[in-house]
Amino acid sequence: MTSTIELASSFIEGAPPGELADVVADIQTLTEGDDVISSLTPAFERYNESQLTTVKLPGSSQEVIVSEFNKLEGNRYFDTESQTSFEFDHVTQTASGAQSSPLESQNADLIKSLQKALAIHAQEHYPSSSHGVYPIENDTAIAILLVANRYSPNNFWNGRFRAIYQVPVSSPALTGKIHIDVHYYEDGNVALNTSKPVDLSVSSLSAEAIVSRIAAAERDYQEELNRAFVALSEGAFKGLRRQLPITRQKVEWEKVGGYRLGQDISGGKAR
Amino acid sequence: MADAQFDSALDLLRRLNPRDIKANLNAITSIVPDLTEDLLSSVDQPLEIRRCPQTNRDYLLCDYNRDGDSYRSPWSNEFDPPLEDGTVPSDRVRKLEVAANEAFDVYRDLYYEGGVGSVYFWDLDDGFAGVILLKKGVSPGSQSSGEWDSIHVFESTDRARMSHYKLTSTVILHLSNESQALGEMDLSGNMTRQVEVDLPVESDASHVANVGRLVEDMELKMRNLLQEVYFGKAKDVVGELRSLAPLSETNRDRATQLEMIKSMQK
Repeated sequence: MTSTIELASSFIEGAPPGELADVVADIQTLTEGDDVISSLTPAFERYNESQLTTVKLPGSSQEVIVSEFNKLEGNRYFDTESQTSFEFDHVTQTASGAQSSPLESQNADLIKSLQKALAIHAQEHYPSSSHGVYPIENDTAIAILLVANRYSPNNFWNGRFRAIYQVPVSSPALTGKIHIDVHYYEDGNVALNTSKPVDLSVSSLSAEAIVSRIAAAERDYQEELNRAFVALSEGAFKGLRRQLPITRQKVEWEKVGGYRLGQDISGGKAR
Repeated sequence: MADAQFDSALDLLRRLNPRDIKANLNAITSIVPDLTEDLLSSVDQPLEIRRCPQTNRDYLLCDYNRDGDSYRSPWSNEFDPPLEDGTVPSDRVRKLEVAANEAFDVYRDLYYEGGVGSVYFWDLDDGFAGVILLKKGVSPGSQSSGEWDSIHVFESTDRARMSHYKLTSTVILHLSNESQALGEMDLSGNMTRQVEVDLPVESDASHVANVGRLVEDMELKMRNLLQEVYFGKAKDVVGELRSLAPLSETNRDRATQLEMIKSMQK
């Protein structure tokens, strides 16, 4: 038997965009009395790091990302743009203990210019987003992250766009994944989950070349996804159930099946 | 507390990925075993198909044709595995059930052009109730697939020369698409709608026609709703997350438009 902790952990990690607090409240009611939430910290951590949870630093309005790529010791993470490190509480999703943390990387110049170029790209295409650029793998590669959230619980929908890229410093290439998750839950529960691997060459190791490749990859993907909506609607969906029978007529219920007009199975006159 | 737990279970199932409803339902009932019966009878899951050994025809399984570990075939009225004293409808309601199965078989053929259907009826003190099940799967391309499950539960309560019908309909729709350029795309979910209406009843034959029309109208409505949510709403939210057109252009266009409206108002 799988333990309550393991099952509840899968609920946490499966929480749709913007609905983690609702899922936590449901878990608390289901496990009444037992204090399971504190035992779920590892699941919260996996959720926050994989979903690129954003948090406001104390005394700042800027939101920064929590991920596996900007993780320090313990529950500390760093933000390269503000050159700050901070303590993150995975359960309450709050930051504290901010400290100055100067960017130490031999690629510091590239990281800074990537941040600027990425900010311009994000502003042009994402009405509400956060991004981060971090040195990874012993300074041999750079991680580029972008997360865009739109929550509209009053209209029963929430959505999240995540792009996670890595660029090795030795050979200019762009690899990673784009994820889109949309939840619509008025009188039902409908989810869109997509995942698109990105594996592209880059002409040079410059911020302009890398970000223009990212912009093109994201545009191509969105266009491809829009075509896929049409393909599913015209293909699989139409193949499941017709809007009307091929005759364009609705069913004549009096004439089909075991009952026909004038024929009553309860012993009435048969035709 | 049990009521609150039941509500939380339903809320959780409305939030977690609908594709995993079976696993999530099992997880919840494993945490709170007391909820098992109530949840199984109120949460719709994708239908399973079984072959009737007597007639060699496929039928669908649900909580309404289950007795213990056996399921009743609508074609033979027999339980599989066989049951000595399985619960079956009264003769009158079984006759209605046979007629409804024949009628909905025609309906299934006209609208689904394939798939599997089953109708189960049971007796109530002041009328009868039933469930109409329809299921179809397609895989038009090797990388694209779809599955549709319709579950229509109704109650018919006798009134003078009329019957009061209450219909609750759920459609579970899974769609997925995969290619090199697209990656993986999964669009899954379920939607539920209810309707209540009084309709004239001349004889038992009227019931099949009344329920038939109710289900036909409901499925048309729900198909349109699903189309709107799956291909309109979901795509719109993607557009809210990411704008294909540069936002500076969109904002400029909007500002120009506002200027024009202002100048026209002068």
